[in-house]
Amino acid sequence: MSRKLPKYFFNFVCLLVYIFLLAPIVVVLLSSLTTTEYIVFPPEGLTLRWYTELIEHPEFMQSFTLSIIVAFGTAIIATAIGTLASLAVVRRQFKGKTAIVQLVGSPLLIPSVVFGVALLQFYSWIGLAASPLALILGHIILTVPFVMRLVVASLVGFDRSIEQAALNLGAGPMKVFFHITLPIIKSGVIAGAIFAFITSFDDLTVALFIVSTDVVTLPVRIYTYMQYQYDPIITSVSSIMILFTVVLMLIIERVLGVGKVFSSKN
Amino acid sequence: MQAGIGTEHDLLLQQKKKNVNKKRLDTWLLLLPTLGIFIFFFLLPLFFLFITSFKNFDASTGVGNEWTLQNYIKFMSDPFYLGVVWRTVKIALLTTLITIIISYPVAFQISRSKGRARNYLTLLVLSPLLISMVIRCYGWVILLSNNGVVNNTLLKLGWIDQPLTLLYTELSVVIGMVHVLFPYMVLSIMGSLEKIDPSVIRASQNLGAGSFRTFFSILLPLTLPGVFAGSVMVFSLSVSSFVTPAILGGPQVKVMSYLTYEQVAVMLNWPYGGAIGFLLILIATITIIAYSKILARSEKGVAIQ
Repeated sequence: MSRKLPKYFFNFVCLLVYIFLLAPIVVVLLSSLTTTEYIVFPPEGLTLRWYTELIEHPEFMQSFTLSIIVAFGTAIIATAIGTLASLAVVRRQFKGKTAIVQLVGSPLLIPSVVFGVALLQFYSWIGLAASPLALILGHIILTVPFVMRLVVASLVGFDRSIEQAALNLGAGPMKVFFHITLPIIKSGVIAGAIFAFITSFDDLTVALFIVSTDVVTLPVRIYTYMQYQYDPIITSVSSIMILFTVVLMLIIERVLGVGKVFSSKN
Repeated sequence: MQAGIGTEHDLLLQQKKKNVNKKRLDTWLLLLPTLGIFIFFFLLPLFFLFITSFKNFDASTGVGNEWTLQNYIKFMSDPFYLGVVWRTVKIALLTTLITIIISYPVAFQISRSKGRARNYLTLLVLSPLLISMVIRCYGWVILLSNNGVVNNTLLKLGWIDQPLTLLYTELSVVIGMVHVLFPYMVLSIMGSLEKIDPSVIRASQNLGAGSFRTFFSILLPLTLPGVFAGSVMVFSLSVSSFVTPAILGGPQVKVMSYLTYEQVAVMLNWPYGGAIGFLLILIATITIIAYSKILARSEKGVAIQ
């Protein structure tokens, strides 16, 4: 019996940590259902009023659409160019390889505030106004490092004799890439695209510097709104975003499996 | 005859050279899009900001024409700004320490579990990474504000008479930061826990060591590389993070990243904002270099991400 005591204590500690992890998310979800004019937890009464009230705030919907467009564009471009660069890095020997690998990995080390400031100054000099393109270019820099890590991981240990066989059988290099290489590294590429999408969709720091009054991504919209207002609208917007992420995760789980996504992460 | 062989040889060589040249060409074609975007939209902007940080401040245009070291000198010699540096480092250290303490049991539990339970626990632990940082921090605002969940509960229990000031303090920033960076530490510790041969633990127990002894003499020393790698990761991410201190600390708890933002976005003092930014990069880089040194030294190094 006394041997089991530490085990119970241990499980209890873990439970507390899990509660700590889920607390802020649960609080946001539940307070979106309150009937009061202010945020309160636990919610008083149950209503979907704050969701229907969103119709009177079309700016949130606009920001949501913009964020989706930017995240989608970022994911597609970053995955495409990151996959090409990974091919070169893994399969070719060339001068300055280490320098290039370090350059492409460095956005993970540079505080994004500093990158945001630098980008804003640069954009104003070259006259690039706030636009989905301006945001996508910034987000590509933030996400290519993730894409390349995941794709490089799936390219290492790739058996190239299969490609050689296809080439010998008369397939062109393009055909080999799309019919042999890409299907084999698929999970790395898809995981990269998902990480790029999530990172871009979630980015506040860089976007904060690039947005203008008309072009505002959802995280920036939420951030600025909560500086001045403390009403449950924010919690309903946030809940929709959380549900959106959960659905996205379920799809990924169906397509790839959680274990796979995170094992290729290493 | 000889000439014939010679030309054949030359031809082969030429062919080979051509192939090499072709290969070299498409290597650069593969790299071109990424490299182009990185040079134009990453290196150049940072380079220009670096130059800006050596210019004087001009109230009308933001960036003056004179070269100066004044921005850096001003920062290094003002106790207020040095205080901000100290606060940034202090918050990062506290975050790292607390993250280690609460990550270890969870990493241990996950590495022990199997099958479905393992998948769900992993998902639970990693879920903070997938949900928007702004929203998570907002959840903490609801929990920690003056009439928030924590204060209301404590008041109801009669433990306090007046609400505690929890929000917009260093404490709230640390709490938010631990919540955001926790998954990195768990992954890192899990990596080194999984490398331990379970028979080592059984051996220790068979030889009569209790749980505590086994933990401190076997598990902890063997997982130290993972703890170390995770710590440096969490420390450097926490030093440079902006969202959490901006939402949970605001102007009341200024850290270096917030100062950079404020100088540029509010004061429009680009040169000074740039200088603070580059000092921040310096601090973050020093920790990262230490990090890779540590990883290189221990062969058991854990790859994160």
